[in-house]
Amino acid sequence: MASRGKRVGVDRRTVLKGMGAVGAAGVLGFPAVLRGQIREIKIGSIQPMTGPLAAIGKSTRQGNQLAVDHINGGGGIKSMGGAKLTLVPGDTQYKPEVARAETERLMGEGAHVLVGAFDSGTINAMIQAIKQATKPIPLMIDIGAADQLTQQGSKYVFRSFVTTQTLGRKGIEYMLEMFKISGVTPKRAVLLHVTDLFGQVQKDRTLEWHKKLNAPFEFVEIIAYPTTTQDLSTEVAKAKAAKPDLLLAVTRLNDAILLVQEMYKQRVEVQAIMGPGNPGFYHPNFSKTLGKLAEYTLDNVPWYNPKSALTQKVAADYEKRFGEQLTTDSAWSYQGVMVVADILERAGSTDPDKFVEAARKTNIKEHVTSGGNIQFSENGDNIGASTAMIQIRDGRARVVLPKEIAETQLVYPVPKLWERG
Amino acid sequence: MALYVQAIVNGFLVGGVYSLMALGLSLIFGVMRVINFAHGDMMVWGMYLSYWLFVTAGVDPYLSILVTGSAIFLLGAAVQKGLVNRILDAPHEMQILLMLGVALVLENLALMVWGPDPRRVSTTYALSTFWLGPIVFDLPKVATFGLALALALGLYLFLKKTDLGRMIRAASDNQIGALLVGTDILKVFTLAFGIGAACVGAAGSLMTPFLPFSPSTGLFFTITSFNIVIIGGMGSFLGAFVGGLLVGVSESLGAVILVPSLKEIVSFILLVLILLFRPQGLLGGSR
Repeated sequence: MASRGKRVGVDRRTVLKGMGAVGAAGVLGFPAVLRGQIREIKIGSIQPMTGPLAAIGKSTRQGNQLAVDHINGGGGIKSMGGAKLTLVPGDTQYKPEVARAETERLMGEGAHVLVGAFDSGTINAMIQAIKQATKPIPLMIDIGAADQLTQQGSKYVFRSFVTTQTLGRKGIEYMLEMFKISGVTPKRAVLLHVTDLFGQVQKDRTLEWHKKLNAPFEFVEIIAYPTTTQDLSTEVAKAKAAKPDLLLAVTRLNDAILLVQEMYKQRVEVQAIMGPGNPGFYHPNFSKTLGKLAEYTLDNVPWYNPKSALTQKVAADYEKRFGEQLTTDSAWSYQGVMVVADILERAGSTDPDKFVEAARKTNIKEHVTSGGNIQFSENGDNIGASTAMIQIRDGRARVVLPKEIAETQLVYPVPKLWERG
Repeated sequence: MALYVQAIVNGFLVGGVYSLMALGLSLIFGVMRVINFAHGDMMVWGMYLSYWLFVTAGVDPYLSILVTGSAIFLLGAAVQKGLVNRILDAPHEMQILLMLGVALVLENLALMVWGPDPRRVSTTYALSTFWLGPIVFDLPKVATFGLALALALGLYLFLKKTDLGRMIRAASDNQIGALLVGTDILKVFTLAFGIGAACVGAAGSLMTPFLPFSPSTGLFFTITSFNIVIIGGMGSFLGAFVGGLLVGVSESLGAVILVPSLKEIVSFILLVLILLFRPQGLLGGSR
């Protein structure tokens, strides 16, 4: 009805539009094919842009964005006639209910694929929204480690990141290797962890692999504290009272800073402060804020491969574009979008089922992160994804293990916090 | 044993700043009957101002409370004059919505201006401590505690001894009476909101030497202040003061006796008990 009404009055705009369409068809010659082609592929980038994880959200969004720019700069998705990627932003605010609403919003706005979202708890809510949608779309978890995310029976969920299983196992494996290299073995360890979903699961996996691999130290105290904590003096006093040789911590950024400050003030003497998988310790702001106190902190993390030529190019472009160093968060979120682009290229379509089919055949050899080829398992996990042990040296996180990609020699045990001049 | 003493010391030191924050909230509530849900976010702006003065001009945060206190005073007065005055007679839920709106604006402005990265004021004494036997005292926390106490005492004397203070108390105790004797009540409101805001702004500055902060830090402190004020007694000066120390110590002890992940539960259990058995708060008079 409406279209008939419009057709009655032909105005200047209609004529211009019509001319444009004829012109385009004339140039390309195949209007029938053209109509079926998609020109823009919308990638929903759902990240924690505000709230306590906002600093990290900034890095991950920038990683997503750089990958989109690289793909578009290289001619877009060629199997779809050079279709361009567009990043559609969403914000989780680090709240599951918001993440869920944002997922529904982006699906409603026609996003083709989602990437995100750093925090396992919020990703969990996103997956529920995808499972309940009438027209579900694929989700590529660029960062988010909790094992159960890919075990919920949704074929649309993939993860280019590592799982907490891998994080837990590699953490203990690297520790054993470090004790061997240095010839110093701790007897007593304290584990401090934050109580969000990631912190809980990471604690469980650490304890699980600690037992499975027969690690030589025992956990004398396990201290959990809430994410909103603004003061860790009592937690650290409790840790000190347990007389640990090694302090393991699973924290976020703000509490990582608080933790080390308190350990300095209360003179807690340990062989090392180490993250068995800790998103706080490797963040550039950790060493920027704490200076000398941050030095020698160890962390087992999904890292970028500093030796790969591709990584070096990405790092250079990243620094040029955003004026900041490439972080591992931005590298993994860069990679998340790159994997999506690779899958779309092979799927030749934005159809979710074709995406899933193509995703299962993924085999990417050259990429920017630690670990082997990117291939997806039956439930959507990246089989090749692995971690590295890094140590803060001269204000930067440097790889000390595995040896193939090591940048510097391990220092263990580390100098006391209060004897660093 | 040392661990318990240490926990009590830590709790007391943190509690002092809690008290100053809560005093501000309590003053605003006592006079206007409006709950300032932007309290924590005003505090965060105090922190950023201190940070900014420290990095650009090298002003010590303990000195910059003069500037931040005044600046947040103006902010609070402006919020009162421009926004709250218009809805004084509106239902409580509307006032809450308005204040939550102000909180969102302040938090996101901070995000725009300062970015999401956590900041820390790295003074030379930031990490100084002294020891009494096995008990460690955090020097900046002790200094902060002392100054918070001094400011609270100053506020108390101001309210008791000066004409302006008497006007504020009059408006709080009996609004109609105050109007009848010729008090310019809207002016008093603006002043009271300003002073309440200044308290929390100063508390923010006082915390910068030991607390790294980011734009989202505010919410935790809004809730904590609110909790303290209810425990201590809405609108009661001494109540807010004692409540702050009580919450600080109980959280800290809770972390030692129970597990730290339950430490916030301790203060909320305290809250529930108070609401059940003494709804006017520990030191609140009946209204």
